[in-house]
Amino acid sequence: MRIKKKKNVPSEIFTGSMADISFLLIIYFMITSAFSATRGLDFALPEDTQTPEIKQEDSIDVHVMRGGVIEVDQKGIPIEGLLPYVAQKLKQNPDKPVILRTDPDATYGDMILVFDELRQAPDKIDMEIKTISIPTRREIENLWSMLGIQ
Amino acid sequence: MALFRGRERKTAAQIFTASMADIVFLLLVFFILTYKVEVDRTKMNLPDTWIRIKVPEKAAVVSIAPPDSDPPLVIRVSTGEEMALPVSTDEEVVTFASTEVARNPNKEFIIKADDSVPYERVDAVLDALKQSKVKYIFLLSDQKTVDE
Repeated sequence: MRIKKKKNVPSEIFTGSMADISFLLIIYFMITSAFSATRGLDFALPEDTQTPEIKQEDSIDVHVMRGGVIEVDQKGIPIEGLLPYVAQKLKQNPDKPVILRTDPDATYGDMILVFDELRQAPDKIDMEIKTISIPTRREIENLWSMLGIQ
Repeated sequence: MALFRGRERKTAAQIFTASMADIVFLLLVFFILTYKVEVDRTKMNLPDTWIRIKVPEKAAVVSIAPPDSDPPLVIRVSTGEEMALPVSTDEEVVTFASTEVARNPNKEFIIKADDSVPYERVDAVLDALKQSKVKYIFLLSDQKTVDE
């Protein structure tokens, strides 16, 4: 009896479905990946041990009110006039801190607009504001009660 | 001459697809390399700023939903590695932030809020983070452009 020789079948990896899998993965990544915002304004909070007490009269008091109205040291000022005013004050005392207070009924956008403007001081007025303090309402109230102001 | 006047062979119209696999793989590699899981997917209109500093990866996120979202002004927190979860009180933000600071005293926090959010809510979050002894805070923003 003659035994038939087995045909040599070349071994190979089946790649026919690879394109389908790749498309599936692409669709998954396209849908789930998001070009999220990864930048913003930073600020460091002082540590308890090195917190200097800032007196209102030693600082520049920037008050953001409803509708984005700005008062600096109790005087109404447009946003364009903020940095020139700050520059004037910093010329007298370069260490003068800026206190940024915002009314509860103003929007976050109003506050950010002013904070961003203050952060641009090195570019716009060629001076650096060494300290920008953003006190919270509780901190302001605590200070007021310490000073006996209702 | 007659030899060349025979019927012309019809060539079937076809789209060349041999390079498709290469393109697909290229796209796949791009998406794999740039893929980032967004821990908070709350849709919001971030405030625009000129100054924008890169926020650190894996920073904890506290997001405040816009007033017109459903439910409005809800606060969500994330460690930066897991999906953001809603919290119902400001005390829960303090607890969350304190836990994170206890794990890593230099942990950075990102505040992600819509620009129409009343400052009162942001103030409450800031206060919670200050109470928890957080050292570094980033306020997420979009790039401001000249026409704005």
